[in-house]
Amino acid sequence: MQRQLLIVLLLLISVVTHGQDRVVSGVVRAAEDGTPLPGVNVVVKGTNIGTTTDAEGNYKISVPSGSETLLFSFIGLRSAEVTIGGRSIVDVSLESDITQLSEVVVVGYGTQIKQDLTGNIARVKGDEIRNLPVQTFEQSIQGRAAGVFVETGNGKLGQGVKMRIRGASSVTADNQPLFVVDNFIITNENQSSATAATNPLVDINPADIESIEILKDASASAIYGARAANGVVIITTKRGKAGRTSFNVGYQSGVSTETNRREFLNTAQYVELMREAGKASGRLARIESRLDRNGAGNRNSWADPSSPEYVNTDWQDQVFQRGKFEQIDVSAAGGNDKTKMYTSLSYSDQEGILIGNRFRRLTGRINLDHQANDKLTYGINFNLAHSINNRLSDDNAFSTPMQIVALMPNTPVIDPRTGLLSGQLDPDTGTPNSIFPLYYNPLLDAKFSQRETRVIRNFGSAYAGYKITDKLNFRSEFGYDLLYQHEERYFGQETSRNSGFPNGFGTDAWTSVFNYTLNNFFSYNTVLNSEHTLEVIGGMSYQEEKSDFVNVEGQQFPSNSYKELNSAAVVTLGESEEEQSVFLSYFSRANYKFRDKYLLSFSGRVDGSSRFGPGNRFGFFPAVSAGWILTEEDFLSDAGTLEFLKFRVSYGLTGNAGIPPYASRGLFSGNGSYGGIGGARPTQLANDDLRWEQTAQLNVGFDFGFLNNRINGEIDYYVKKTSDLILNVNLPGTAGIPNQIRNIGNMENRGFEFVINSENLVGEFRWTTSLNYARNRNKITNLDNQVIEGSFLSRAVEGEPIGIFFGPQYAGVDPANGDALYTVINADGTRSTTNDVNTATLMKVGDPNPDFIAGMTNTFSYKGLELSILFQGVFGYQVYNGGGKFMTANGDFFDNQTVDQLRRWQNVGDITDVPQARYLGGNGTAESSRYVYDAGYLRLKTVTLGYNLPKEITGKAKLTSARVYVSAQNLLTFTNYEGWDPEVNADTYASNINQGIDFYSAPQPKTITFGINIGF
Amino acid sequence: MKRLLLILPIVFASACVDKLDIETLTSVDTDKALRTSADVEGLLVGAYDALGDPDLLGGNLQRDSELMGDAGEIFWDGTFVAPGEIYNKAMLITNDQARATWLDGYYCITICNLVIKNLNLVTEDRKERVEAEARFIRGLVYFELVKVYARTYTDGNPAQNPGVPIVTEESDQFAKIPRSTVQAVYDLVLSDLTFAATNLPATNNFFATTYAARAILSRVYLMQNNYSNALTNANAVLQNTGFTLTADFDDAFNKTCLQGTDRSKNGNATKEDVFAIQITTQDGTNNLNTFFADAGFGGRGDIFIDPPHFALYEDGDERAGLFFDDTYTAKFNNQFGNVPIVRLAEMYLTRAECNFRLGSSVGASPLADINTIRERADLPPLTTISSLSQILRERRLELAFEGHLLHDLKRTQSSVGPLYFDNPSLIFPIPQREILINPDLEQNEAYTNN
Repeated sequence: MQRQLLIVLLLLISVVTHGQDRVVSGVVRAAEDGTPLPGVNVVVKGTNIGTTTDAEGNYKISVPSGSETLLFSFIGLRSAEVTIGGRSIVDVSLESDITQLSEVVVVGYGTQIKQDLTGNIARVKGDEIRNLPVQTFEQSIQGRAAGVFVETGNGKLGQGVKMRIRGASSVTADNQPLFVVDNFIITNENQSSATAATNPLVDINPADIESIEILKDASASAIYGARAANGVVIITTKRGKAGRTSFNVGYQSGVSTETNRREFLNTAQYVELMREAGKASGRLARIESRLDRNGAGNRNSWADPSSPEYVNTDWQDQVFQRGKFEQIDVSAAGGNDKTKMYTSLSYSDQEGILIGNRFRRLTGRINLDHQANDKLTYGINFNLAHSINNRLSDDNAFSTPMQIVALMPNTPVIDPRTGLLSGQLDPDTGTPNSIFPLYYNPLLDAKFSQRETRVIRNFGSAYAGYKITDKLNFRSEFGYDLLYQHEERYFGQETSRNSGFPNGFGTDAWTSVFNYTLNNFFSYNTVLNSEHTLEVIGGMSYQEEKSDFVNVEGQQFPSNSYKELNSAAVVTLGESEEEQSVFLSYFSRANYKFRDKYLLSFSGRVDGSSRFGPGNRFGFFPAVSAGWILTEEDFLSDAGTLEFLKFRVSYGLTGNAGIPPYASRGLFSGNGSYGGIGGARPTQLANDDLRWEQTAQLNVGFDFGFLNNRINGEIDYYVKKTSDLILNVNLPGTAGIPNQIRNIGNMENRGFEFVINSENLVGEFRWTTSLNYARNRNKITNLDNQVIEGSFLSRAVEGEPIGIFFGPQYAGVDPANGDALYTVINADGTRSTTNDVNTATLMKVGDPNPDFIAGMTNTFSYKGLELSILFQGVFGYQVYNGGGKFMTANGDFFDNQTVDQLRRWQNVGDITDVPQARYLGGNGTAESSRYVYDAGYLRLKTVTLGYNLPKEITGKAKLTSARVYVSAQNLLTFTNYEGWDPEVNADTYASNINQGIDFYSAPQPKTITFGINIGF
Repeated sequence: MKRLLLILPIVFASACVDKLDIETLTSVDTDKALRTSADVEGLLVGAYDALGDPDLLGGNLQRDSELMGDAGEIFWDGTFVAPGEIYNKAMLITNDQARATWLDGYYCITICNLVIKNLNLVTEDRKERVEAEARFIRGLVYFELVKVYARTYTDGNPAQNPGVPIVTEESDQFAKIPRSTVQAVYDLVLSDLTFAATNLPATNNFFATTYAARAILSRVYLMQNNYSNALTNANAVLQNTGFTLTADFDDAFNKTCLQGTDRSKNGNATKEDVFAIQITTQDGTNNLNTFFADAGFGGRGDIFIDPPHFALYEDGDERAGLFFDDTYTAKFNNQFGNVPIVRLAEMYLTRAECNFRLGSSVGASPLADINTIRERADLPPLTTISSLSQILRERRLELAFEGHLLHDLKRTQSSVGPLYFDNPSLIFPIPQREILINPDLEQNEAYTNN
């Protein structure tokens, strides 16, 4: 050591005495956006001479003679070697490091360098998803992270988004991942009082997101123990950096249209089919009278195509609209060495593709960090959001715009008798029109009702960190999440046919959720003998959540001028619900690294929850993992093109507590009143033994990099086994309460994932590709021989994936008589058919779980131009059309039919798959595989073409950057699905078991936006 | 300082463990729900609430009787699949209504059993009445269940035909219970209702009275074709009991619950109601309104009344005026109207029928009883009753759409269109859900391969 020092000293002296030093200075900027980079290491190559850039990215360094090269390095950016030449000013731009190995990854209660990870964590950078016209960030990570399945169930705005990380792990408990924002678990449960879910994550402004980490395996997620079985999504928001304050202003504007329409019968086809159906069932007179009635009482409107009064309405024209989208983002980030701040403000206003649907959101954020002294740092995060969602009714309601397709094509939009919308209250008679048109006209709902959900959301935290020693730190943080929701609905008397309330109806529902968490933890870091790196954290967390709900309903309003509940003459309902739950947890993690190549990690969490039976409140969730960086070994240190290779393995337990707060209790409710006298009734059976559902997960993976890491990626295989399934077990009806939550059963997910990133072309013209692929096999391995029913044919069945379609198999049409046929498997195993669906054999007839999902992003850039193309696909699954028995029912009732019903059987000997049209005949309309459809799809999810204005121009305008872009979402969809859109799960039915159900569900929006971002 | 920091979280954490024991807030834990007499009596009110559930006597049972018993007088125009299947006499084993009626029926029975099990908590002077009310409800629900899920009493041998599973206060709630015979279910129904008739008071606000129990007993005996017992019980309700027919026919309907609390009075909304499901603006749902009434009255307007029904009325029949738009019955036009279960008119009709069949004149002659009904409907009195069909026709018109149709057709061994009274399609399936859970439950004939 002393000798080394001596040599350095000698060298320095020699430099001082013999060198002819020159001073070089310059500014280091990020290549991406031109912002100055503080804290960049600048070293003269081959020497120990170095410095770092200041807050404005400036540096100044003495370069000895003979040295010609400067080295610039910064975490997360690609290091650069720059030849000085004769210059005295050397400005440098640093590129992002796409090898990502030195990237800092957020893990639970800390961060790690990607290279040192032993668990599986997918990362999506905030910048990738910043300017997309969606309401919530989950929608933008669809296709960007391996093994992360994201589904927006329909094209309505701000509704629940389904996210599955490595499949579903539970039949009854929650299957959504845990969402953590800046270290705190936030409320993400649906708070809607309608059946269709809303999504509390919409209150996060995507533009505030620095990064999203998705913890997939047990090693990564076990630190969140009891609630990590479905994976954990960690959202980290942007923070200020020391240096010049940078302002960013973004504006975008666009339009949305539906991705697809379906074809229904026109008037002539409809009349022909219905007459045939009426004849077949001997009820032709009723068909004729109904055609007349729904043709606004005018026979010419349907019987005579040559008449000027002939009507042929495509009702889809009436409910789809060109939705406008507009968003403004303003942010400022900056600070000095002691205090750093990020502030932002964002407003977005989006109209849906369906009339009446609109979502507006205003958010503001302040993230503040302050270093009080060498020891103490503290700060706050503060997020305030206000959203207004003009919602539509649930997918199964007559009033939802999409159900308009059921109306007859010969019904005019405007009733010529009144000059008003068909079905609108006739002012002459003063009575609502209840038998015209066929069903309630959803256009009346758009005009005479409102369903507004307003949310005020405030979440934030305060923290203090104390450096006890150089190695030991303590951090205490308090986070809170307040959600106030007001759902206000009003239905005018014009809507009475649907609302059931002749003189106006209104509801006012208030929800408040208060969720707070206290975290206290220590972290300890040490390096021993420069070979052993040890990082330990340990601490505790306490979380309490309380929710209140009050709903009041009233009717008899004086007129549509009075829409507040105050004007209701009769208050018909007042209800309330109050719930509480508590989590108490202790957690710890130790990461150990030896010689930068052997990695070992232990983590564990003890979780206690008030939700479980008295004897089973606490659970322990440990995980262990190891990594081996093979390329650090001598035998691979010179492996040609192989730059990096790491082997990872992890195993651990995680839990699921996603059940109602009092799931283990036997409950009575005081809402059994009768005739105005208070009464009580039992509502839930007790299960004192209820305990944690446990998921054990094994993960084996490789991280690799070739050709200077220009090609890099990850391959993972996992087995996730869930035991003690929390299951809402069916009891015989004679038990009175026909279900009980018990721990019964096992479920398994096995899967394979890979990610490949490649820099295909470098230099002035750049082309990068990122591909991810995941297949997951879900299987319920034990359900105690039960079949748990969902809606339609959706079931949980032992030996099968969750939510398969299980029921009668449609066997086509009997050529002899046009009867629908169903398969019977006889006792001896032979197959036959029957026209009596009650006697058909029940079997698996479809599976809504995809075979695999994939996403591919290609980015091309040349000078300031950048083109990014994301394809996303879900392959090998089926969808059940729950509306099939109405819209694809060979004229069973008066609903307009999909055009494929023209293939119906008509004559003896006809070979077809559509049975004979029989009005009220129930011919083939039973729930069966007839309504199961293949639905895989490949979607051109996002295309963005952007142009960064050259510095010469922005500089003149005193801007640091300026970017204009055009972006398209869901531009093209390739699918064989016959319905509106293959990405579907009807909002009324969506549940763990009910997957892939279409029920008049709106297609996804196709959105094109233009935008500009300016930095100064 | 350092030590303090280390200790702080530990101290805090141990203080938190107790916090895991939280109280339920809106609902109440079982051990706190059944401690006092008031608790049990509150549960009894809950049993009425369950009885009045839309899927039971809140309307759907009555609706389904009218739909399944119809042969061209009404038309099902709704989109709900389950009632459509019932109307078409082509139910699937997955029929939602078959499932809901079953589950809600046993839910109501379970509440009654809980009340009976906890009678020891009830104040002595109310104990008998509380038990009698619970058994009234239980007996009534079993009677309704056995009527829809099993062959009718007079079809074949009731001692062999499967009825419905029996659970009483003594049963193991979680057991997989097979179907008892039709006879065994009727025996339980008679035992419960007889106990109720014996022990219930004459006035009990709008809750069950001895007369309500006797009225239901008259129905049970009628289903058994036991005319003399049916007669005795119907007659008992007609003897100076304070019930009278309303002056006008339409006054008997669409009355909202009076919301009194005095058990020493008859709290029914009309003097004609012997027993009715009570609906207030805030409590209860009248599902006969939902399905039979037009949207202008808060209904879905799913059931049209067709010309063959209108043709049944004589000119001048006031009852023919109780329709709306020539399409809907107006019997249920009040969204918050009580659901009539037993109107006194039924007792006149039952007494008339039994007297006619038995050739007796207990209480009054059949002619007098029928004319009582006719006079209220503004019809001229008959001079003679020559056939049973006259009485049954009067019954049909008087009680139309109130849920009697299918059961009257079955007990009189009539046909529903082409289907004879014993046709298996006129019986609900045992819900598929139940059979999947308990394979010992026997499925009904129309729904099996055999």
